[in-house]
Amino acid sequence: MDIFLQQLINGLTVGSLYALVALGYTMVYGVMKLINFAHGDLVALSAFAGLTIYVEIFGEGKNSILLVLGVFVITALIISLVGVLLERLAYRPLRTAPRLSAVVSALGASLVIQNSIMLIWGPNMKIFPSNLFPSTVWNLSGVVFTFTQVMIMGISAILMVALYIFINKTKMGTAIRATAIDQDAAKLMGINVNKVIMTIFIIGSALGAVAGLFIGINYRGITFDMGWTYGLNAFVAAIMGGIGNIPGAMLGGILLGLFNAMISGYISSEWAETFTFVLLVVILIFRPTGILGETIAEKV
Amino acid sequence: MRQSYKIAIIFLIVMGFFPLFSNSAWLAVGTTFLIYAIVAFSQDIILGRAGAFQMGHALFFGLGAYTTAILNVHYGVPIIYTFIPAIIIPLFIGIALAGPIIHLKGDYLLVATIGFNIIFIQVIQNDIFGLTGGPNGIFGIDVVRIFGVEFMSQRAIYYMSFTLLALTLLIMRNLDGSKYGRAMFYINKDDIAAQSMGINVRYYKLYAFALGSAIAGAAGSMFAIQYSAVSPEAFNVIQSIMFFTIVLVGGSASLPGVLIGTFVMFVLPEIFREFQTARYLVFGLAMILTMILRPRGVWPVKFGNIPNYLKKKDTK
Repeated sequence: MDIFLQQLINGLTVGSLYALVALGYTMVYGVMKLINFAHGDLVALSAFAGLTIYVEIFGEGKNSILLVLGVFVITALIISLVGVLLERLAYRPLRTAPRLSAVVSALGASLVIQNSIMLIWGPNMKIFPSNLFPSTVWNLSGVVFTFTQVMIMGISAILMVALYIFINKTKMGTAIRATAIDQDAAKLMGINVNKVIMTIFIIGSALGAVAGLFIGINYRGITFDMGWTYGLNAFVAAIMGGIGNIPGAMLGGILLGLFNAMISGYISSEWAETFTFVLLVVILIFRPTGILGETIAEKV
Repeated sequence: MRQSYKIAIIFLIVMGFFPLFSNSAWLAVGTTFLIYAIVAFSQDIILGRAGAFQMGHALFFGLGAYTTAILNVHYGVPIIYTFIPAIIIPLFIGIALAGPIIHLKGDYLLVATIGFNIIFIQVIQNDIFGLTGGPNGIFGIDVVRIFGVEFMSQRAIYYMSFTLLALTLLIMRNLDGSKYGRAMFYINKDDIAAQSMGINVRYYKLYAFALGSAIAGAAGSMFAIQYSAVSPEAFNVIQSIMFFTIVLVGGSASLPGVLIGTFVMFVLPEIFREFQTARYLVFGLAMILTMILRPRGVWPVKFGNIPNYLKKKDTK
């Protein structure tokens, strides 16, 4: 039972991170029908940028809530900017091109970001300082959870609720949903599709940036190619929940995180990815549109 | 399509005489080029012709290589006999893996095939049944012996790869002229229309998968002979992405396009070794730029001429 509760906490932590990253994938896919392969690398970039901002600019040692908040906000702003640039340079020219061209462009963008990180910060693992968050640890009858884990779950939950309200209750959110259904019709209704796409890249990248910083703070070690691992897992989570569906990405992320943690706890962490993809294939065979996805009849 | 025959013949002649004018270092580069070109063509059968989004092709390349390596190193089977299982095993595993998911639409198939590749890498890295040698791989693969004659010079390996590539091109020529090839092109253009015309989309896509996997397996066997070692990183997802990209950057179903793509992705890095660290950065930029400037690839294929009676009449 202890293993179960412990893995539940770990699973919810990593699941929240997957959900944050998955939201970026699912929003872009919903509107542009494009797998943004570079999204995972933006997450990695955020961890490295955040580390540099924290250590080099603010200087370690003196610590306050404001300072940590500042690191989060500045990193999110930078990554959003990179996300918007990415869309402008690599995706916008290909909006009317064949689907596969955009996929190749996304793969290219992923390689560019990943290798830029490698050339700037070097190929070796970087270690996050441990004093960003207080190192408080609670121990409830054998089940250990840290302050960082609670923060990850709490802040992710707040961000997801905020996003849900934004998408469903605001004018911009309505425009995003309309564009996802039919881009041309949305244009005819006077929606600025370019602005909508820019908005989803800003939101998606900012959420990914928060996830990237959390990954650094919680797991400490960051590598230039970790974006692929988190990105692929998050994308699997988005498909599980139903791609293009925002609550689906949240649910898929949490479920995948729990599944991963249970496999690591009860079977073996060496085979974690194998189980993830077996689960994905099983879901794709029996419910190709995902858990919350709707089946849409194909129109010719 | 006639133009591509000419290019194929010129290419075969050039590559056939290439060993006469080069030393063994260049021959090794040439052999690498030939082997990767075979894999790229087999990817082209699946992706460029049948239009199935396969992004895990290194899996079948690796299966062929590992089949040869395991049978030779662990069981002492002569290399020449390992060719057949190195073709048959990827063929059946290709059918078994693709069978349940072949009906999936584009991007879903893409992610599922990436998943297969990741599972494959994890299986060989975890040294399953003590056969795959874990992250180090297997080394010490024998040379090819036929009736006691050893074919171990780089030139012999070059010509074996060359023969395999020529066979692949012949298979693809025959495929293009057959019912199967036409069905694949139709499915690629519009699978719903193809289905409503009575074409069994599932069958032909699986056929393409099986054929592509088998050819990739044969290439994998050649790879094991060329390097006399196999290791997981030669078959990981980044390699699959490279094969996927070669086809699309070069031009789907375009013979010169695939050759140019293979040359750029696998031969140029061998020549410019000093740029090794920035290699993928340059590739990434090149991929984005090519797609923006030429969305259908560097050398897109042209499907003959539209007959005059179909052209719009000149209304004066």
